[in-house]
Amino acid sequence: MKTNRPNRLARYWRATLLAAALAGGALAGSAALAATTASTADHAKFKELQQSFASGPEVTKACLICHTEAAQQVHQTKHWSWEFLNPATDQTLGKKNVINNFCISVPSNYPFCTSCHVGYGWKDASFDFTAEENVDCLVCHDTTGSYRKLPGLAGHPPYQDTEIPPGSGKFAKAVDLTKVAQKVGRTSRDTCGACHFFGGGGDGVKHGDMDSSLAAPDRELDVHMDATGLDFTCGTCHRTSSHDVPGSRYTPVARDTEGAHIPGREDDSLPATCPACHGQAPHRGGGHAAKLNDHTDVVACQTCHIPQIARGGVATKMSWDWSTAGQMGPDGKPMLKKDEAGRVIYDSKKGDFVLGENVVPEYRWFNGEVTYTLLGDTVDNREGVTRINRLGGSATDGKSLIWPMKVFVGVQPYDPVNRTLVTPHTAGNDDTAYWKNFGWERAIKTGMQVSGAAFSGQVDFVRTEMSWPITHMVAPKENAVRCGECHMQGGRLEAIGGVYIPGRDANPLIDLFGWLMAGGALLGALVHGGLRIVRRNG
Amino acid sequence: MKTRQLLLTALAAGLLGASFGAAAYDADWKRGRIYYRSVCTACHAAQTGGSIAPSTMTMAQWESYLKADKHAAGKDSLRRYVGKDYRAGIRSQNKAADKFADVPDAELLEDVKAFVIKGAKDGDAPASCS
Repeated sequence: MKTNRPNRLARYWRATLLAAALAGGALAGSAALAATTASTADHAKFKELQQSFASGPEVTKACLICHTEAAQQVHQTKHWSWEFLNPATDQTLGKKNVINNFCISVPSNYPFCTSCHVGYGWKDASFDFTAEENVDCLVCHDTTGSYRKLPGLAGHPPYQDTEIPPGSGKFAKAVDLTKVAQKVGRTSRDTCGACHFFGGGGDGVKHGDMDSSLAAPDRELDVHMDATGLDFTCGTCHRTSSHDVPGSRYTPVARDTEGAHIPGREDDSLPATCPACHGQAPHRGGGHAAKLNDHTDVVACQTCHIPQIARGGVATKMSWDWSTAGQMGPDGKPMLKKDEAGRVIYDSKKGDFVLGENVVPEYRWFNGEVTYTLLGDTVDNREGVTRINRLGGSATDGKSLIWPMKVFVGVQPYDPVNRTLVTPHTAGNDDTAYWKNFGWERAIKTGMQVSGAAFSGQVDFVRTEMSWPITHMVAPKENAVRCGECHMQGGRLEAIGGVYIPGRDANPLIDLFGWLMAGGALLGALVHGGLRIVRRNG
Repeated sequence: MKTRQLLLTALAAGLLGASFGAAAYDADWKRGRIYYRSVCTACHAAQTGGSIAPSTMTMAQWESYLKADKHAAGKDSLRRYVGKDYRAGIRSQNKAADKFADVPDAELLEDVKAFVIKGAKDGDAPASCS
């Protein structure tokens, strides 16, 4: 018996280990099988990615071993060049050229602004746009949610724990590049949103129809992106080919006259427009639906289906007054003022803000043509406001629809002698950066030198306006704008000209014509009836 | 003796298998986010009106809170609210509970944990230019 005991124990232990291995293997296997439903490749198994990376460009080099054409494809895009020649206007646009009325301009602020560039190392104009390893694959393909690029690092993520802002005591952790690289996947609302939700310097600041609430929205906020419903990603509509993302704010498609794009057709393009999926008669049925379909040649889908912007609990900036920047607190240091909701409405570095939630858009005719007031253009202030971007469109050009807009008002510095907008150097720790030293003349002198533009040395402020066509945050149909909200006096479309809107307009000639028609019909009926009666009696 | 050894074998196998399985499961913070917002936050907002944003606690506090498994000041178990039974009970009114009705309890709990840890006061937060 004693001699048999060790053998028995050994058998039991062998059985135990075998069972454990089988059970563990089964569980692990089920997880692996689940993973394969989402992707055909597990990047953690690629030996090229089984190493520690010291920098982002090192990761990119590893990516390019397999994805040989990817960097060159990215190099062809606006996401990379931040430059775009508008063929309709011959204006050279793109982030590095346009001026806006939020953070104003990129040149001289590169290391900060380029935390939203799909590249590494753009710290000044000497950036090498031809280097493939400078492309940042991870910023668009991260699935961990742990990859982030910090302002001031010229597009690099933190490679060691980094205090941000300096002196704040708050530290951003170093990014685990190996972990992120091994878990890359398709782009998502989070990856696109890492920049596009935060345009203008914070959550929801710029667009009004894009903020962090769209990362996991419910149906009320966006019927397409509803995280428990259709769960569209940005790429579902902005269907990307060779890393080129369709959908542009410089040359948007204001009126898509094509029908729905059906996969399998010779033309497999999918412009980022509503009709690309819904066609030209999106409302099904007769009667009311048919009447709604009658509107599609005049009204953009977004006009009715996005009743308000900033509906997800994140406020958007509606105005920004740079002229009040520079006021210090009682302690002589930069200060913040907040409203009852705890939102910043004054910042010594930036001036006063007006914020809005559930904002009803403004409405304008828009044909897709956008012309910018660029550096060097004479400030046109005849209407009391300089339009940073002028949108083309009218009721009669055959190309326009009535679109919803976020109209953002700014008061920003300009050169009153040369009558041009200016490009101040705001971000940085040097002695001319406005956010460090609060001196406009020095900041603008530095910024204009970097931009290669003339500056008189004098600074004044000008009222500006920028229009942002609205296209996200599509509400469920039951929450769409009601007929009576436009077909009334003082309604949403009160300012829209060039079109007769029943319920809003009263054209005397049309009214006279209508009354004559009605009166004529009544008279005819009376005469006809009278004659019938007279003849019957006779 | 034989029975006891068989039981021990089965227990050890289960524990080892479970540990392998747990190690193999890679928490889905995005799924955790949807569940947390659509179920946890929605209920808290309706019942108490208070915020339970992940950023109200540090990572260590979240770890401790989840480990303690006490909900409503210890009146019941936190795990109950990510369990299949609970999801089945609310799925007709809650789209997230319906969508994730069949997700194993342990996985969904890990998902929620991954989300709150990521969004904790000292966790990874969205970047901004300011």
